[in-house]
Amino acid sequence: MNIAALPMMILIATAVVALVPSLAPPGRVRHLGPPLVSIVGLVAAAGMSVLLWGDRQYTFYGAFRTDRLTVLMTLIFIASALVTVLMSLREPATVDRRGEYYSLLVAAVVGMVLVAGTGDLIGVFLGIEILSVALYVLCAMEVWRARSLEAGLKYLIVGAVGSALLLYGLTFVFGATGSVSLEEISDIVRVRGLGGEPLLMGGMALVIAGLGFKASAAPFHMWVPDVYEGAPTPITAFMATAVKAAAIVAFLRVFSGALIDVVDDWQMPLAVIAALAIIAGNVGALVQQSFKRMMAYSSIAQAGYLLIGVATGTLLGVRSLLYYLIAYTAMTLGAFILVAIREREVEDGQSIASLAGYGRRSPLHGVVVTVCLFALAGFPPLSGFIGKFMLFGAAVEADLTWLAVVGAVGSAVSVAYYLRPIFVLWGEDPEPGNARTFDPGDGLWVASVLAGLGVVVTSILASPLLDYCREAAQALIAP
Amino acid sequence: MPWLTLLIVVPLAAGIVAALLPSATARLVAAVAGLVTAGLAVAVLFEFNRTVGTGQLTEHHGWASEAGLEWTLRVDGISLWLVLLTAGIFGLALVAGFLHMPARGGAQYLGLILIAEGALLGLFLAGNLLLFYVFWESMLIPFYFLVGMWGSEGRRQAVMRFVVYTMVGSLIMLVGIVATAFIARDVTGQFTFDIQALQGVAFSDTQSRWLFAAFALAFVIKLPMWPFHAWLPDTYRTAPIVVTVLLAAVMSKAGVYGFLKIGLPLFPGGAAFFQNVLVLLSVVSILYGSLVAWRAPTLRLVVAYSSIAHLGFILLGIVTIDGQALQGAVLQMVNHGLVVASAFVIVGIITQRSGREKVADLGGLAEGAPWLAGAFLFVTMASLAIPGSNAFAGEFFILIGTFRHHWWAVFLACLGIIYASVYMLRLFQRTMNGPRGQVSGSTVEMRPGDFVLLVPLVAAMLAIALWPQGVLRTTGPTVDRVLAPAQVALNRPASQVRARVPVNPPEEALPLPGDPEPTAPTPQNTQVPTP
Repeated sequence: MNIAALPMMILIATAVVALVPSLAPPGRVRHLGPPLVSIVGLVAAAGMSVLLWGDRQYTFYGAFRTDRLTVLMTLIFIASALVTVLMSLREPATVDRRGEYYSLLVAAVVGMVLVAGTGDLIGVFLGIEILSVALYVLCAMEVWRARSLEAGLKYLIVGAVGSALLLYGLTFVFGATGSVSLEEISDIVRVRGLGGEPLLMGGMALVIAGLGFKASAAPFHMWVPDVYEGAPTPITAFMATAVKAAAIVAFLRVFSGALIDVVDDWQMPLAVIAALAIIAGNVGALVQQSFKRMMAYSSIAQAGYLLIGVATGTLLGVRSLLYYLIAYTAMTLGAFILVAIREREVEDGQSIASLAGYGRRSPLHGVVVTVCLFALAGFPPLSGFIGKFMLFGAAVEADLTWLAVVGAVGSAVSVAYYLRPIFVLWGEDPEPGNARTFDPGDGLWVASVLAGLGVVVTSILASPLLDYCREAAQALIAP
Repeated sequence: MPWLTLLIVVPLAAGIVAALLPSATARLVAAVAGLVTAGLAVAVLFEFNRTVGTGQLTEHHGWASEAGLEWTLRVDGISLWLVLLTAGIFGLALVAGFLHMPARGGAQYLGLILIAEGALLGLFLAGNLLLFYVFWESMLIPFYFLVGMWGSEGRRQAVMRFVVYTMVGSLIMLVGIVATAFIARDVTGQFTFDIQALQGVAFSDTQSRWLFAAFALAFVIKLPMWPFHAWLPDTYRTAPIVVTVLLAAVMSKAGVYGFLKIGLPLFPGGAAFFQNVLVLLSVVSILYGSLVAWRAPTLRLVVAYSSIAHLGFILLGIVTIDGQALQGAVLQMVNHGLVVASAFVIVGIITQRSGREKVADLGGLAEGAPWLAGAFLFVTMASLAIPGSNAFAGEFFILIGTFRHHWWAVFLACLGIIYASVYMLRLFQRTMNGPRGQVSGSTVEMRPGDFVLLVPLVAAMLAIALWPQGVLRTTGPTVDRVLAPAQVALNRPASQVRARVPVNPPEEALPLPGDPEPTAPTPQNTQVPTP
């Protein structure tokens, strides 16, 4: 066996080892051991991945492929997980369950990496299931809070439906092509000319629905606001970034990778789903009073923007999508960090109203969140603008001009709700009475700085980053 | 030396640094950065070659080249003076901030002013349509906070209106930018956002009109021009006085500059088509601004509305498409910046020290404040363009140039000049002369800090009054180049067209055998912006 799967192996080992310190008697080791092990493991896996940047390598008899796309996605997952670990250091949900919490978090990353590098349909399903099961538990981790349990249960039921649809769809694809290997499917589809084949069409429809649930695209988004609001905030941030990225890369591997030759059959459904997500997310976010819930709707809309890149089925589309995914991860994490801080400091910390005057009291967090929200709204010169601009350009080039128009209008609407928290944040401080001040802890400061830097760096270094994204996209779609 | 990049990066970087420092250090950093930027602008003036009409001192780097966004900077005879004006006025604003910092969040306040300066300088230097848009939009962010956080009563509504108005304009402009690039690709086969490379592209009449309209809407909102001015009174009233100075003296020029940089050279057909509408709007703005300024209750609103009238004059000089008028308009852009800045400074001094906003509450201030009255008189004379003042040359050129093509507009605009003397003299008389009001003059008299602000402004006005050629010499070739395409589109006599009209794609690039037939511009183009 060569080293292509080493990052995944490191992550699996990390997930196991993270459980060990929690066996220690209450104290420093038990408290700081699991997060420390997770951080070390994640950083090691990231370093290993960087070394693997290069041509495609196979392991497990072709079931796992490490190419540039796998590496890029692995780095996104790990970056998101690292920030989540930092956010969770003092999270109430992790008290007494530190081992399980961090172990499950890393296990979810394992599932994601498996999806990103999978060589066959089974890997797609396996990876999605690993990460879903881990997240069912993580959502409900705050067992003493009814909302958290409700979130876990809702996610479990809806997620199970999504998984069932996905599995059903994958078997149809297998039935139509006679192979589970993505590369063989690609060849078979091309050679036999399976465009319009009903069995394959049905399979693709089910796969789109199944992955649509995981990516929280409309019309499969009804679970999102409740689950995102109920889950512990670091987990919400993780779901909005890494899990969405995993679902998107599953779309890429199956559709843009294996089924690229029947692009005409799946382009329109995906474009419609993207448009619906953009509309549903942006309209829903307009009326929210809770910042966390607003971000949930915003992430539905953002899933729509990301799906534009899949729907184009072109190299430019995939490359813009990957760039936007990196940018999106940084800016969404930055926004959720503020929620995590405020909900520990005051009673109704999730509401937009609770942000009043916070910018003046804590300029660093204020600036980071302001930059992140401006980027989400697509204000130039931030990465959100560059990414959206390229995605819309790719849509126009793929003759999906109507989709670009929907995206542009949606993003104009989104300015209205992204600016609202900024204004409250820097506005007057009403009365400093309702403090229940828990110390948010140093982890959140570090996380906040990392997220802010992420947005700024992706904006300034857009050109080199886009070069990497092009290489990753080429690994998926040969030029 | 990468002068132009430095001009943008120095204030931006200093702004970010200043915002994070403690107030005492921040104000020093900000003032030094403001002066360094002004020095850099002067350096650009010395590096500038005034015989060349196209952009020069070009700097070009990739940024997100894949998206067409490139760091392309150029300076020409028109942007040169706007850069000097911006760096000068912002330098003074930062010195003013050094002398009187706001009590709360002074460091952030100065930092945001510096960031706004960087964005505006970037706008005036941008040589790429997307980069232009980037700066156009990012300038909104610092002004949003400056008005929203340090403004007076009612700022929240004012700033929301300001942002919504400008956002609507700029989003339509973004559609126009994208459409321009895509349509130009169909015509020339080259996909670019570079403004110089897009010059002379043969758009069809319909395309040229729609694209010009998309850009012009954003520009007239930013100016603002009647009837798009609804955001102006509240914003100017609630903003801190220094920010009002910046908005009126510098930011309003962004809209004018857009016409000169993009509107006329890129879409001459559209400019010719909308010429009469724009001339009419300018004249209405002049009359409307003058009339409302006459009846405005507070000092600030008088100056704010007079600014609408003056900007109407400037736009008139541009859209009349005449070499002399445009020369006057460029000169008047600088003049208006200086005059309106000093007017607002004086208004700020009076209202702050007396605590009175209303004209009716004041009177007889000259008795105790001779210096202030003197300065105010000087500014008043400049504002109503009395012969011998700096604004006279500019307005005179505009009127002469306009008379050649639209004599009726000159007739109406002259009414505006008469009204200018009515409202400015009324303001001066009511506040400075007449019976003593509730405040005695000695409380508002100029203090040493005020001299620091007003002396450079007055000196610059005097310099231009005595030697307007100093400005006009450098702008000549650029003005000829900017006007030429629109003059041709209007079938003006060849003797007036004094620059070569670029043709894109070049005529000598004959199609090679085997090349596809040149695609005719599609009449039913799908990129047309739908508002």
